Amino acid sequence: MPDSLPHPDLVAALPRLRRYARVLTGDLNRADDLVQDTLARAWEKRRLWQPGSDLRAWLFTIMHNVHVNQFAIRRRELSESSMDADDGPVAGWEIPVRATQSDRVELAEVLAQVGRLPVEQREVLILAAVEELRYEEIARVQCVPIGTVMSRLNRAREKLRRMTGMSPAPLKVIK
Amino acid sequence: MSSNQPLSDDDVHAYADGKLPEARRAMLVAALERDPALAARVAAIREQNVALRDAFDPWLAEPLPRELIAAAQPPRGRKAPRGRWAMPALASAATLIIGVGLGWMGRGEVLHLDGTPTTFPRQAALTHALYATDPNRPVEIWANEEDRLVRWLSKRLNFPVHAPNLHAMGYELVGGRLVAGNEKPGALFMYENADKQRISLLVRRDNEHTSETAFRYALEDGVGVFYWIDDACGYALSGRVDKAQLLAIARVVYGELAAAEAAPKP
Repeated sequence: MPDSLPHPDLVAALPRLRRYARVLTGDLNRADDLVQDTLARAWEKRRLWQPGSDLRAWLFTIMHNVHVNQFAIRRRELSESSMDADDGPVAGWEIPVRATQSDRVELAEVLAQVGRLPVEQREVLILAAVEELRYEEIARVQCVPIGTVMSRLNRAREKLRRMTGMSPAPLKVIK
Repeated sequence: MSSNQPLSDDDVHAYADGKLPEARRAMLVAALERDPALAARVAAIREQNVALRDAFDPWLAEPLPRELIAAAQPPRGRKAPRGRWAMPALASAATLIIGVGLGWMGRGEVLHLDGTPTTFPRQAALTHALYATDPNRPVEIWANEEDRLVRWLSKRLNFPVHAPNLHAMGYELVGGRLVAGNEKPGALFMYENADKQRISLLVRRDNEHTSETAFRYALEDGVGVFYWIDDACGYALSGRVDKAQLLAIARVVYGELAAAEAAPKP
C-alpha cells in the first residue's frame, strides 16, 4: 500500500475535481469548500489508493461521498428550520468565457438546462458524457448498481433532449 | 452482458458513448443500418455529448484559487517549516488559467520587458533550438550532479530554482545551463525521453508581477512553447512535441514546482 498520492497527478486533477464539485453543489464557493474537504479526505485515505488505477475516478468517489454526507446534514438543518431543502434548479453557473456571442448564449442555455436536472442525474451525465468515465466507474462513484446509472443517464438525456428540443424521440424497443 | 441477449436501450447509450463491448458492437451497427430512427438517436446522443463538453470544458480553464493548490499538498508538506529558500517567488502559485492555445490573451507582450529584443516564448524557443540539438554539450552540468546544478543556478539567478521531476511523463533530466536572459540570467533545464526527444524548461526572473498565472502557448519556428509567470518568475516549457502532450507536461512541471516549494528544505 502506498504511503503517498502522486502529487503532480493530484494537481493536474484539480480543474476536473473543481468542475465536478460545481456540478454537485451548483455554487462556486461551496464547490471550492467541497474540493478542499475532498483533498483532505483523500490524503487521510491515501493508503486505500491503488497505484495504477484511475486517480480521477477515485477522487470523484470520495467527493461524491463527502458531498452526500454534507448534503444530508444540511438537509436535516434545513428541515428543522422548516425550509424547503430544494436541490432543484442551480443558480449562479457562469457563462463560459472565450466564445463568440451566439455560442455563449447556446452554451449558457446548456449549462442552465443541466442545472435543472436532479443532482444524481446531472452527476451521471457529466461523468459519462464529459468526463467519459466507464459506467462501472460511475456506479462505483455513486455507490449504486450499474442499472441505476443507466436509467439515470437515460432520464437525464431524455430530459435534456426535451428541454432543447433538438433531438428525435428515443426508441424504446430495438430488434 | 452476453452477446446473444437482444439489444437494449443501454446498448444504444454505450454505443453512442463509445463504450459498447466488441461482442455487441456488430449487432448494434447492423441494427443501425436497418433502422434510420435508431441511427438518428445515436447521432442525437453524440450531438448532446459534444454540446455538453463545449459548455463544461471552459470551466477547466478557469483560475484555480491558491488554497486549492495548497490543499493538494501532502499534509506533511503543508506543516513543514519554511526554509530559507522558501521564497514568495515560487510560493505564489497564484492562480492558474489553462488558456489552452488561446492566442487572444497569449500575447508575448505580457512578458515583454522594456529593452528586451524578443518575447519570452521566442527567447525560450530559440534557446531550446540552440541547445537541444547539440549532441555533445546540450548542458553545462549534467544530471548526475543535479544538486550542484540546482545550487549553482539558484546562486547565479539569485533565487531558488528547482529541476522538476518529469519521470512520470517519461522524461529524465539531462542537466542544465545558465543562459543569457534579458537583463538577468536565466536557467535552462534539459530533459530527454526514451526516444531521445528533448524538451527544456527556461526559468527567469521577471520584474512584472501578475496577480494571475496563465498557461499560454506559442509556436515559434516549429518549437511549441507553453509559458507562464508565477509571481515574479517566468517559466517556459519548449519542445518539438505535440501541443496536448506539452500541456500535460507543463501541468506536471507546475505541480512539481508547487510541491518543491512546499517541501521541507534543509
